[in-house]
Amino acid sequence: MKILIVDDFSTMRRIIKNLLRDLGFNNTVEADDGLTALPILQAGGIDFLVTDWNMPGMQGIDLLKTVRADEKLSSLPVLMVTAETKREQIITAAQAGVNGYIVKPFTAATLKEKIDKIFERIEAQQ
Amino acid sequence: MNPTNEAIQLEAARALVNALEAGDKEESASQLALLTQTQESDLFHQVGKLTRELHEALNNFNLDNRLADLTANDMPNTRERLNYVIRTTEEAAHKTLSYIDKTLPLASELKQTAEKINASWHRFRMREMTADEFRSMSKEIESYLPSVTSHSDQIHANLSEMMLAQGFQDLTGQVISQVINLVEEVEDNLVRLIKVSGKQKEHNNNANKTVDPIKAEGPQINQENNINVVNNQDEVDDLLSSLGF
Repeated sequence: MKILIVDDFSTMRRIIKNLLRDLGFNNTVEADDGLTALPILQAGGIDFLVTDWNMPGMQGIDLLKTVRADEKLSSLPVLMVTAETKREQIITAAQAGVNGYIVKPFTAATLKEKIDKIFERIEAQQ
Repeated sequence: MNPTNEAIQLEAARALVNALEAGDKEESASQLALLTQTQESDLFHQVGKLTRELHEALNNFNLDNRLADLTANDMPNTRERLNYVIRTTEEAAHKTLSYIDKTLPLASELKQTAEKINASWHRFRMREMTADEFRSMSKEIESYLPSVTSHSDQIHANLSEMMLAQGFQDLTGQVISQVINLVEEVEDNLVRLIKVSGKQKEHNNNANKTVDPIKAEGPQINQENNINVVNNQDEVDDLLSSLGF
């Protein structure tokens, strides 16, 4: 399982990377915004995407929409981890096809719960 | 022109026409003088008003100077302060994370060895242990106990470093307070400037402003007072489940 972590703050990428490692996901790659994330996604091999919303360059919501519009990437599970807490934003992310939405600051337990839930749903669909 | 002036002028004009028709030169000259006089007093009134406005505008120039000063000196300084906050908090977070990375393996090693010795000790108490196994367990205990001391010392030192790294909150908190004060000063000056110079524009501009409801805003500072904002993960989950998630 290879996971791409997208956040403009290196500290947050590091925190998420460490938390994922504790959950048994050792294979992670990082990008600092949507524009640098896209080539990594398009190169293939990424099984799960964790992205922030508010980033310079391409924002997380636009990355999500681009992923859903891309034939090869459209079914990639996407978890949004963000400080954006407006209702319109959460609804927009849901409509754009996000698989999970975590608000910062978050706990390791929340991250585990949301990831487990996403995989449960994927397994149920298969 | 005020109504009293208008009445006086109308009366003077009528009297002037009457005097001219009657061929009374003296009377017509005096009525003409009265007419111009009222017009002049209106002119003086207007000039007085303009002078007062000019005086106020000149006074407000002092205000503009403070704004110019804020823009030229304090603003670049504030940018530096805020960059300092980003840099300092980033360093502190990395420092803390590095010490966590160094500490977790120490705790894991202590736990794993303790579990191993515990299992051996249990077998010893159940009299399931051979003499060779007992000697091997004794050696393990002998090397484990000093390692508990050294690992604990190292864990203690790492935790102290993590605690020290939290000092960034004090430093950045002070800088942010300074920035808040400056922002308040700029806001006060701008409000006063708008009051004196842009009363009529104020309303039009507000009407034309369009709001992007999903524009990224970062952490909400006052989320408890905003019903359009969720307060925690539970509210996010509730909202998403109401959408069929």
